[in-house]
Amino acid sequence: MTTPALQEKFQTLVDEHKKILYKVCNSYCRTRDDREDLAQEIIIRLWRSFGSFDARCQFSTWMYRIALNVAISFYRREDTRTRHVLSDEEHLLNAVDETANQSEEIQVLYQFIGELDPLHKALVLLYLEGNSYLEIAEVLGITETNVATKINRLKQSMRQEFRGAARA
Amino acid sequence: MLDLDEMKQRWAEHDRKLDQSIRLNRQLLSAVKLNKARSALQRLAAFQGLEAAIQLVVVVALGSFIYDNIAMTRFALPAAALDVFAIAILIAMIRQIAGALRIDYDKPIATIQKQLEGLRVLRIRYIQGIFLVAPLAWTPLQIVALKGFWGVDAYRLFGIPYLVANLLLGLAIIPLGIWLSKKFSDRMGRSPFFQRLMKDLAGYNLNAATGFLARLSEFEDENLAK
Repeated sequence: MTTPALQEKFQTLVDEHKKILYKVCNSYCRTRDDREDLAQEIIIRLWRSFGSFDARCQFSTWMYRIALNVAISFYRREDTRTRHVLSDEEHLLNAVDETANQSEEIQVLYQFIGELDPLHKALVLLYLEGNSYLEIAEVLGITETNVATKINRLKQSMRQEFRGAARA
Repeated sequence: MLDLDEMKQRWAEHDRKLDQSIRLNRQLLSAVKLNKARSALQRLAAFQGLEAAIQLVVVVALGSFIYDNIAMTRFALPAAALDVFAIAILIAMIRQIAGALRIDYDKPIATIQKQLEGLRVLRIRYIQGIFLVAPLAWTPLQIVALKGFWGVDAYRLFGIPYLVANLLLGLAIIPLGIWLSKKFSDRMGRSPFFQRLMKDLAGYNLNAATGFLARLSEFEDENLAK
């Protein structure tokens, strides 16, 4: 495939899966600038790896794997985050109405995800997306049993927290 | 508070709304921008390659100096010490470049994060090594540079007490540097570069990296999950 054709295909696929970009960036970053930087980094990584993308695999799983890997390392990075390629006026992801996207409940959800450590953020995000335990295990690189155990433990701790809050 | 399954339902509603309300700026995804991003990364790789090439020249030049002065231990020994330091730096540089090239972001998260954190540990140890050894390298560097560039004997020019004092000063600077890094690393808020450098030297970043590696192992460990 020629480069312009490859780029066209890449743009179309990323556009079709832009929600992944939005959700990962919102789960790992608190400020708009950080979200924009992270979105750019994810796009760059996706593009660099796109040549080796196996079309027999699901694009969403592949995109999730790269996006989460980039997001975790972005979140963990201790140095300055001013290496973005695009200027400040340019934005990759534009929300038509940010408040419409994020009702109070959704904000609480993002807040809940935001409080988790970077690895559990990835786990919860994949679970909320409706992936099976096997799919989650493949993206995370852990066993299916381990995923099930972690999800159950998370559910239990949330129930306990809820009971504690109700008693208080 | 919602439980995880209720959250899943809300998340699905959120997902449906996002379909209509977010736009991807396709213009920014155009060939020019993507290629610009690619060339920025290529520049970074080229810069690292150039650094390693310069370091190789230093190693070879020091080797040549040792060969020329092999009969004069007082010159050959400081040069050998510098060469060992230069070789160690070169090896660390190559390991970092090779490690970075091996990282393939479409592999599972636990694998990639382990590789990335391992690379971070390597980078921190590299920085610590350079800054800790550099004060000690100053004295042999004076001896070798004066002899190599101008044919001057530093032992005669400065005298042995001056060179020993320099070496001792270098030794004293190391603990002082570590103490200053620990004391002031948090106060470098305006300069992320210096803040990171100070935290690297103080060992805070190394602790954070090894801590994250331990958390990764726990995350992967099925028994711990139970």
